[in-house]
Amino acid sequence: MSLLGIAWRNIRQRALTSSLTALSMALGVALVVTTLVTGGVVKQAFESGAGLGYNMIVGAKGSPLQLVLNSVYLISKPIENISWDTYTAFLPAAERADGTDGIWAASTQTAVPICMGDYYRGHRVVGTNAAYFDRLSRGDGQPFAFSSGENFRDDDRYAAVIGSQVADTLDIAVGDAIAPTHGADDGKVHDPFRVVGILARTDTPVDRGVFVNMEGFYLQDGHAKPVAAAPADEGTENEGADEAAAAAPGDGRLPYSQREVTAILLETAALPGLPAELTAMGLRNAINEGRDAQAALPIAEIRVLLDLFVTPLELLFLLVTTLVVIVSSIGILVSMVGSALERSRDVAIMRALGARRRVVLATVLIEAILLAAVGGGCGWLLGHGVVGLIGPWIATNAGVTAGFLSFTPAEALLVPFLIVLAILAALLPAVAAYRTDVARWLG
Amino acid sequence: MTTAFSSPQNSPAPAPVIELAGVRKAFAVPGSEPLTILDIPSFRVAAGELVALEGQSGSGKSTLLNVISGIMRPDAGRVTIGGIDIMKLSEPQRDRLRADRIGLVFQQFNLLPGFTALENVLVAMAFGSRPTDRGRAETLLQAVGLGERLHHKPAALSIGQQQRVAVARALANRPRVLLADEPTASIDPAHQQQVIDLLQTTCRTEGVALLVVTHAPDVASQFPVRYRLEDFNLAAAAHAPAPGVQS
Repeated sequence: MSLLGIAWRNIRQRALTSSLTALSMALGVALVVTTLVTGGVVKQAFESGAGLGYNMIVGAKGSPLQLVLNSVYLISKPIENISWDTYTAFLPAAERADGTDGIWAASTQTAVPICMGDYYRGHRVVGTNAAYFDRLSRGDGQPFAFSSGENFRDDDRYAAVIGSQVADTLDIAVGDAIAPTHGADDGKVHDPFRVVGILARTDTPVDRGVFVNMEGFYLQDGHAKPVAAAPADEGTENEGADEAAAAAPGDGRLPYSQREVTAILLETAALPGLPAELTAMGLRNAINEGRDAQAALPIAEIRVLLDLFVTPLELLFLLVTTLVVIVSSIGILVSMVGSALERSRDVAIMRALGARRRVVLATVLIEAILLAAVGGGCGWLLGHGVVGLIGPWIATNAGVTAGFLSFTPAEALLVPFLIVLAILAALLPAVAAYRTDVARWLG
Repeated sequence: MTTAFSSPQNSPAPAPVIELAGVRKAFAVPGSEPLTILDIPSFRVAAGELVALEGQSGSGKSTLLNVISGIMRPDAGRVTIGGIDIMKLSEPQRDRLRADRIGLVFQQFNLLPGFTALENVLVAMAFGSRPTDRGRAETLLQAVGLGERLHHKPAALSIGQQQRVAVARALANRPRVLLADEPTASIDPAHQQQVIDLLQTTCRTEGVALLVVTHAPDVASQFPVRYRLEDFNLAAAAHAPAPGVQS
């Protein structure tokens, strides 16, 4: 029988105490793992800056963070709208009614407009065009996929695409009609849109979005800007005025002069002779210096958010969970001391049978290592299980993917760290076992 | 003073497997002179000999077994097991010697409660020099009538069965000598004879010297070689053996 076998039987002998000790460690480790993984995944996703399919958001002047939260994560309130002309300033000649490039077109790879303010049974409604799903990408950089149906066409005005969570929660299928409400769930009911596509799960905020063709969106009550309120033509807006004039009211679409957008999702291009980063920086500065709009870099804004709130919270949580692990280790100490006292006679028997002192010392330490390994291993699995369970919630609310297999390098040190703590905690009882007076206990 | 109760025959004795010479052991008593527990000028047990050592409670019987087994160091004297002077060994060496050459049976049996009967025997093997021999462990337990109880824990065994496991465990590493400390004290009279028979039979079968310490004259009387330990002194017994049983 090996020392491992002896140690394991000793643990089994005190099944209840051992289980509680291991459970205590497992809970501590699970907490730490959950904290590390979720924090790590969120940070990694935000810091990588990849996968959104756009690197800049243009919206109304105000809080850039609010703009990002509203546009990317579909949370918080929209600031204000910006003019249609501001949007068309990013379009190339082929996409503009006047046949000339917008003033920012050369710096733009992709520009997708979004219009917000409507809801459908608790979910945000986003008015956009087909480019949202054709030219942008999901969180992991892959193109959007549809679990059923397909993307809407720009000429199909009352078509909608819905996120997977919306489809699941509201039991909506392709072909169903959905009627958004204006401004709030109890607002005025708009015309129905026909669902033509249901997105495959992306583990991003897109999963809980309802996306309707903005041509239909514009035609709803309260969505057209009164003509009298249209801004005076000047500068770049002269081009917009020309386009507004070119909009044919006869085709039933809202004239350009009455259109606004909430934000523009931009993927910037590199100007000839300039690195992409410099082009983006120049474009951002130019937009921010203007009066009409602001440009925000989502990654930078999220980093600010992380630095201001998430990281301190994460550190605090990590501190608390580390304390939990330390308390768990003290639990091991108490358990092992108690067990050493309980087992003094057993140790004396083993010594009488010829077990050397270092053998009983090793047995106690192996017990602690086994408890820590089992408790730590279970805690690791439990932690990842929790991450797997809350992964979809994190994905929908934070816009990043976290699952059972999400891993952070710091985890690799966790169980070894716990084992070292357990060994330290077991040293006292191990030495007590080492020094057991055989004659006293067996006399 | 020590009285010989019985003695070996006068024929030439085989080589001793246990030999004590000038062994003394005293314990400190606060505020008083040290209390002498053992003072044994000479004592021998030959290979395969079945010896009983009778003494009243507190006469130093258990201390003597602890000294012989190397658990306790005497203050003076020489203790040899199979010709090896254990006083010259380091503690780990004494532990190994005890594991390999000495089997111990305790009054309270001292089985490990979390281990099955078979595991209790295997544990003893784990501390010896030989590789663990599961087959021998099973054979020993079968020999003491516990072939059907191999996987029972002590709590599921009767007192008599526990004592039999203790005997099997003591023989696990093929010892040269088996030391039994009041092996019948915790069991009812009906089973005492079974334990004595078991010890004597198994030791004869295995060729092991048996030294039983007991306070019970009727137990000691069943051994061919008997000593009486009185006043912590075995000298008279060792040096003045008399044939037959004397009162």
